[in-house]
Amino acid sequence: MATEETGEHPIKSEGDIVTCRKLIRTAAVAAGFGMTDVTRIVTAVSELARNVYVHSGSDGVMRWEILYQSGKVGIQLEFEDYGKGIPDVDQAMEVGFTTAGTMGMGLSGVKRLMDEMNIKSEIGVGTTITIEKWGRAK
Amino acid sequence: MNHSNSKYISNFKSWAEQKRFLNFTDEDAEFLKKLHPFAIEYADTFVEKLYDHLLKFPDTKRFLGDEKMLMRLKLAQKAYFMDLTSGEYGEEYFKSRIKVGITHQRIGLPPRVYMSTYCYYMQLIIPQIYGNPTFDFETANGIFLALHKIINLDQELAISAYIHATDEVISRQTEEILEMSTPVIQIWEGVVAAPIIGMLDSSRTQQFMERLLETIVATNSPVALIDITGVPQIDTATAQHLIDTINAVKLLGSQVIITGVRPVIAQTLVHLGIDLSGIITRPTMASGLKVALDTLSIKVVDTSKA
Amino acid sequence: MDENSLSVIKLKNILLVTVPDDPGDDIIHELQTKVLHAIEKYQSKGLILDISSVNILDSFFARTISETTQMVALMGGQTVIAGMQPSVAITATELGLHLGKAISTLNVDRALDIFTDNFKLV
Repeated sequence: MATEETGEHPIKSEGDIVTCRKLIRTAAVAAGFGMTDVTRIVTAVSELARNVYVHSGSDGVMRWEILYQSGKVGIQLEFEDYGKGIPDVDQAMEVGFTTAGTMGMGLSGVKRLMDEMNIKSEIGVGTTITIEKWGRAK
Repeated sequence: MNHSNSKYISNFKSWAEQKRFLNFTDEDAEFLKKLHPFAIEYADTFVEKLYDHLLKFPDTKRFLGDEKMLMRLKLAQKAYFMDLTSGEYGEEYFKSRIKVGITHQRIGLPPRVYMSTYCYYMQLIIPQIYGNPTFDFETANGIFLALHKIINLDQELAISAYIHATDEVISRQTEEILEMSTPVIQIWEGVVAAPIIGMLDSSRTQQFMERLLETIVATNSPVALIDITGVPQIDTATAQHLIDTINAVKLLGSQVIITGVRPVIAQTLVHLGIDLSGIITRPTMASGLKVALDTLSIKVVDTSKA
Repeated sequence: MDENSLSVIKLKNILLVTVPDDPGDDIIHELQTKVLHAIEKYQSKGLILDISSVNILDSFFARTISETTQMVALMGGQTVIAGMQPSVAITATELGLHLGKAISTLNVDRALDIFTDNFKLV
């Protein structure tokens, strides 16, 4: 198989944000996602990878897996950092909440692009954000 | 197509899980292997008997084709008998079973024929197992059970292939219906129109939005008319979808005009507190088209009155 | 031209900037600086940001566009975003992105038309 259907990439530098985007674009296109879904997925990756790099205050890692189920294709992504953690996850998910002055769509915006989103965070230990997107298989 | 098919029906990982669920062990593989010498010796006779039976019924006969086709099927069936008793039930075995399932589905062999052929298959083999003097009763029981398990696994894959194919037809048809119910057409140079019929739910809006935006770009149209005459009722979610679509069109550099706003829709919009004030709305598609042509500085003249 | 670099071209009174398909943060930073310096140098009255190749627009990029538009306005110029791809527009809407005071057009030709008709600049 030409493209890996599962893998991981560290997030340590600004350049890793673009590398993560490129890796996931290739994987999502190969899995058969439509153009708009590919863009949604890659944009979510960009937001979350930047979230790890800029806000967590530590290194992190992105893991992904392509899933197939009853005629549908899915992608599951996990962003893990060992940083300061999110004090109030519910607040962080509210529309307009931002700590970094990006534009205030932050995590709630990513959630709109995805089918599933889960956040596990512990102060001083780190944060793990899992997202999932399903599309019509081609 | 077939490439992706085999991917979605069932993956090897879940099949291996199924093997564990059925309690298909290495011991079972050993039992089946004991049947292998018998398979080598009797495969031809066995296959002849099976096809003689299948040829007796018009229902099954029509799937067997001409002499040449029949020969190929017999060879395939013989190979299956060998595989079945090979003792190797790994990924190769799994892949060839999937392929058979897809072939049966493609030629339109009904599941009932497939299942009853298996039953006849068992009727031919079981007496041979228990009648074989080299097997004691316990061994024969072991072989019988192992055979029962592996055939169950095979059937499960084949039936999944049938179900998967049907699912695929249904989802393709659903998609076609969705597309037909929201056509996007260029009605003038620089103007596209999209009449929406029925309620807009989330998945329908996403598809509609994609097609509308792609058509706007492909036809290089600065104006898009979305006609909602055929939308029976509007709720907050539908209105939000419409607003999303309008905003996405704006980002492209085009303008949306909503037409066909009937009294009941106007009342609901105001009662729901949905603000469409920044958007041009018109009661009919015709009046919307007039706005569109004005925007593009196009003048249409009635030549009979000129 | 390097596929990963920005191209800034002066066309009479306006600037045409072409953005690569997957711009990294460094290129986005560079975009703002390069544009503002070129506007100062050429006294440009308008900026066309050709994003027709761009296949990802995240909140960081959108914020930079919105800010650059404001800065260009402070220096007396109008910004036009040209050629956004449909999938990018849909994603941007769902993510809740705004491009501030920038005007959008379907392509560079139409952006030039705007500058000719509305601003008499080309």
